[in-house]
Amino acid sequence: MKRGPTGLPAWLVQRASAVYLLLFLVFVLASFALVPVHSQAEWLQWLARPGMRLALAVFFAALLAHMWVGLRDVLLDYAQPVRIRPYLLIGLAAGLCGLAVWAGFILLRMPA
Amino acid sequence: MRFSISRYDPDRDDGPWLQHYDIDLQDSDRMLLDVLLRIKEQDPTLSMRKSCREGVCGSDAMNINGRNGLACITRVRDLKEPVVLRPLPGFPIVRDLIVDMTQFFKQYHSIRPYLINDEPPPERERLQSPAEREKLNGAYECILCACCSSQCPSFWWNPDKFVGPAGLIQAYRFIFDSRDQATEERLDDLSDAYRLFRCRTIMNCSEVCPKGLEPSHAIERVRLKMIKKDGDSGALPVHPPRPVA
Repeated sequence: MKRGPTGLPAWLVQRASAVYLLLFLVFVLASFALVPVHSQAEWLQWLARPGMRLALAVFFAALLAHMWVGLRDVLLDYAQPVRIRPYLLIGLAAGLCGLAVWAGFILLRMPA
Repeated sequence: MRFSISRYDPDRDDGPWLQHYDIDLQDSDRMLLDVLLRIKEQDPTLSMRKSCREGVCGSDAMNINGRNGLACITRVRDLKEPVVLRPLPGFPIVRDLIVDMTQFFKQYHSIRPYLINDEPPPERERLQSPAEREKLNGAYECILCACCSSQCPSFWWNPDKFVGPAGLIQAYRFIFDSRDQATEERLDDLSDAYRLFRCRTIMNCSEVCPKGLEPSHAIERVRLKMIKKDGDSGALPVHPPRPVA
């Protein structure tokens, strides 16, 4: 197996995460259309629905994975000279890890 | 009819510039190449490649009014004036309309464009069923003119790492050849982030192919082959070549 940035796994992750993001978006829009949220209390109630923490956790994971592959592709396509790409990728990974930690805090503070 | 042709002499010019030629079309001027040959008679310093003059060799690929095509099969009377001719984009210019195709052919050779089969050759030939042979249709017709790779932004950005549509349709041709035994090695060779997966499915390659081939479909089938989802695929789709205007 070759070393360096992956091709096939990244491609599969991008597509699988896109499918989940699309389904989750449809669910959220349909949910808000059926039961509009007008206040903080209603918002907390919406978040406290069964399985919501897990669904949101998968959403954040899919979003971060999708961002990683998409932004990594931008850097692999356009970042010149080529030798700066590893440093930019490390910076990108660090930024996304920061977002992952933030998303983790949000999930932990969600109403049970 | 006015022709604006990119000129560049590396010994004299800092960069390419357009030279204008006003030509009275004659009855014998059917294809763009006919006119270019007449211009060259007037101005022997104009440099270009050509050979078969019937869309088979791919030598006279160039950018015609912003779109890649073969001068020998482009009807000159269908073109908008002024006809702007430039060398294939993204490739280093050698002179005028001639580009350096070293990198292009390096990528082509990197996919090992030959049958790999270690079994002793049979007495007559390695046979294929009609269905197995059908899979090569839409790929083997590629003439390596480079119209596709030269119109592919991914190839512009990473010509040394991305194989490009011309090389990848050839890779498909051997990956899907029932007589070839190096399928897994070929797929593994293309599995990194660059060699095949720089393709962003822009599909310029399929749009400009003068033979009407669809390298983007070949690339998709190779991807599916990597995840064992290629199924019982037949010939690659083809379309009538879209004329340059």
